[in-house]
Amino acid sequence: MKGIVLALALMTMALAAAAASGETAIPRFAEETAPSGLAHSFTGEWTFMVGGGAAVFDCNGDLRPEVLLAGGTAPAQLFRNDSAPGGALAFAALPDSGLAIDQVSGAWPLDIDGDGITDLALLRVGPDRLMRGLGDCRFEEASADWGFDGLDLWSTAFAATWEKGQSWPTLAVGSYIDRRQEAFPWGSCTPNHLYRPAPGGGYGAALPLSPGFCALSILFTDWNRSGRPSLRVSNDREYYKGGQEQLWHFPADGPPRLYTPEEGWAKLRIWGMGIAQSDVTGDGYPDYFLTSMADNKLQVLKDPASGKPQYADQAFKRGVTAHRPFTGGDPRPSTAWHAEFTDVNLDGRVDLYVVKGNVWQMPDFAEKDPNNLLIQNEDGSFTEAAETAGVLSFAEGRGGAAVDLNADGLPDLIAVNRNAPTQVWRNLGGPGMGHFLALRLSQPQGNRDAVGAIVEIRAPGLPVQTREITVGGGHGGGHLAPLHVGLGTAETAEIRITWPGTAGPGPWQSLAADRVWLLAEQAKPVPIAP
Amino acid sequence: MRMIRSLACLALSLTLTCGLLAAPARAGDPAEVMQQWYRLVLELVRHTATYSPPVAARAFAYTGIIAHEAQVGGPGGGVTLAGQVNELTALPARDPGLAYDEAIVLNAALTEAVDAFFFNTGPTGQRAMEAMDKALSAQLAEGVDPQVLRRSVDHGQAVARHIIAWSDGDGGAVIDNMGFPETWVLTPGPAHWVPTSTVALQQKPLLPYWGNLRPFALPDGATCGLPPPPDYSEDPGSDFYREAKEVYDAVNALTPEQTAIARFWSDDPMLSPTPPGHWISIAMTELQIEGADGPRWGAVMARLGITLADSFIGCWHTKFEYDLVRPVTYINRVIDPNWQPILITPPFPEYPSGHSTQSGAAAEVLAAVFGADHAFVDGTHLDDGIPERAFASFQAAAEEAAISRLYGGIHFRAAIERGLTQGACIGAYAVALRMSE
Repeated sequence: MKGIVLALALMTMALAAAAASGETAIPRFAEETAPSGLAHSFTGEWTFMVGGGAAVFDCNGDLRPEVLLAGGTAPAQLFRNDSAPGGALAFAALPDSGLAIDQVSGAWPLDIDGDGITDLALLRVGPDRLMRGLGDCRFEEASADWGFDGLDLWSTAFAATWEKGQSWPTLAVGSYIDRRQEAFPWGSCTPNHLYRPAPGGGYGAALPLSPGFCALSILFTDWNRSGRPSLRVSNDREYYKGGQEQLWHFPADGPPRLYTPEEGWAKLRIWGMGIAQSDVTGDGYPDYFLTSMADNKLQVLKDPASGKPQYADQAFKRGVTAHRPFTGGDPRPSTAWHAEFTDVNLDGRVDLYVVKGNVWQMPDFAEKDPNNLLIQNEDGSFTEAAETAGVLSFAEGRGGAAVDLNADGLPDLIAVNRNAPTQVWRNLGGPGMGHFLALRLSQPQGNRDAVGAIVEIRAPGLPVQTREITVGGGHGGGHLAPLHVGLGTAETAEIRITWPGTAGPGPWQSLAADRVWLLAEQAKPVPIAP
Repeated sequence: MRMIRSLACLALSLTLTCGLLAAPARAGDPAEVMQQWYRLVLELVRHTATYSPPVAARAFAYTGIIAHEAQVGGPGGGVTLAGQVNELTALPARDPGLAYDEAIVLNAALTEAVDAFFFNTGPTGQRAMEAMDKALSAQLAEGVDPQVLRRSVDHGQAVARHIIAWSDGDGGAVIDNMGFPETWVLTPGPAHWVPTSTVALQQKPLLPYWGNLRPFALPDGATCGLPPPPDYSEDPGSDFYREAKEVYDAVNALTPEQTAIARFWSDDPMLSPTPPGHWISIAMTELQIEGADGPRWGAVMARLGITLADSFIGCWHTKFEYDLVRPVTYINRVIDPNWQPILITPPFPEYPSGHSTQSGAAAEVLAAVFGADHAFVDGTHLDDGIPERAFASFQAAAEEAAISRLYGGIHFRAAIERGLTQGACIGAYAVALRMSE
């Protein structure tokens, strides 16, 4: 803890000259893959041409998150985070975590049984598994104990939400192609499945969410700020017939049902591969970056007052089409997978990290396809900065994460590559970095991590930032870490929280910048670092 | 009768979609070989990113010609196209004193064809091609004399390779950037095409040089050219304005039937077998109903593929000659800034309508093949949940395909009507090819 205090203090001093020029600051990153010890590859052929993600979460309570990497044909591997606060990244492979399981395509951390210890959902090509956290980074399979039938499918997407009155989460698992189909796999998308809690805990039978259109990313999201999340599903048009992107209602009084054209849902058909969510426009409603091939989308709600889920694509307008390599000389279109909004320069405007890579020797698409780090400018446009920032990679990327790994307040970056080593970059900051808040929400039972909470942050000189705590989206993985928000030059900010299941936001509360805060429901904020 | 034909079509469509490969082919039946490979080809066209309609049509032409030429010299194999289509030289001949297995010759040729024309498909397509090759080759080889087997495979491959080598010189073998040039100067002026979407690649038009390709039966891309479209004008009394207003009014008052027609013929790349693939699908169904033999399959697929490819070359030549603005651009500028068509506006100039040209050409060929009054049921999109539609003739279907683009809000009437005319002109060249004794 003392180390974290020192690191954050140094960081605060460095931030004293925070940006005031209006120019977009670009942080410097250093690749620390080899020296950090994060040595692992996601491997496989056809059934692992998709998937490959990272689950990032703290399983030993030191506020520096561990990293679980899906392995495909290789076993998944959990790495303990031994990074010195503010220092170089350092990881140690844990041989006895209980997670060395093969055929894993993706992993998401969440506290399923509400015991305060993070569990894991492991998606597989084969039966999925729920892993109970035992503490100290040890896990055991709890699928049978929890009545979870992992089915024998090619699972590719995951999301979770706590429905009203439930102490266990509802789980949604997206699946891909019927892998037994060799000559004619097209049109063979298998259903997605929903697991709703059983009375007393655990799960009942899986409920098919049909039709399934080969989902590669799903996300429970409160798109209309109704307090009741819907399920957003991004589907791969390569394999469906008659399919499209989907949005499911989750009504309190009935089974899930799809939003219809009459309700305003417009048909969109892309090679949907990943969903990233954040409020980019500052209107208080979530916007969605959808990854695809040659044609990524930034969907912005057209008219919140209409109550209709109608979106305008602002990718072109804002410069985030990321449709072809920005460097490297390969002119062919790009293939994008994991995407995540994060504020790498802490200026109070979310940036966008996109992991890219050819599917598998597809000659119509770039083979040298660099990941993107798109930094948001003051006018809402984005500027490509991956090369300048030092995170250029031409590996065949799939999953990723943007999380502060060394407790210095700066988001670091992970890229999970297919048939190549996973990479990790440390954010070294640089001139013009802003201040930040890290917010760990906590509820006393059930939904311990307040998944579904809406957090608003206001700081002088910045629009109100609105974030939703979610589990899902991305590609192949996600993280359960304190909500990280850049504040620009502000040294304090006000926040207010709409806790899951409550009618409206709580009071504004003032917090000092550059700290990790524990925000327990109906309790005063407590700084837990420094 | 219509009900019977409809049920027959449904049964055939289900057969097409429910696993021909699972049911063993009748050993040695070239027609079965054609059906199986063409079913896969339709999927590959749909699932290969570069296969915009012009590119797909080119692949259909060469694949069809390979299927036909592989059977020339065999029983009922017909007349070679060498010397009839542009720059195709004499093909490898069979040894007249030796025996060949027709299904094996054809399978070997189509394996080569699909490998060559779909080399750029993704991993799933590659896996499917391999699975098809493996399964069919094993089935067909059963009980066949090894020498006949070897000879038949060699001949099929030699024919295919000859045609593949010929294809390399037509100007369409390499497609960069999914067909969108990295540099292209838009024609200045309000009459001309401008991008209609926010898809980054589509800020340039698709395949602007396609009209310069070497055609097949057509002498060149300028043959069957068209007069200019109505003069551009924003005057409400002008012909141009009237055509735009017709599109605007039509889309704003679409009947359910007109909406269904627009969607049925939409045939968007990557979401369907493409417009030329739609006509290939129609022909496949009719050949199955007819019980056509291998040579008949090969000849029909060659003639139809040729005219589809020629129609895209001719149409694209005209499109870039006039480079006309799309309805959505004009209507938003002059009539209603908020109006939107119901279909996705394709990323290239408006005049003439590609659907109309290629449908007009396809109807010309299919009428010659099956009869001018041949009624049929089209179940191309059953897999996608789109109901079949019945037509009294191929011409009726072509006319519906053409007007669907007006209902969809993406073409003016002149592009539709003259596109059909252009298609009929182009189709006549394919009809004139001599393919049987």
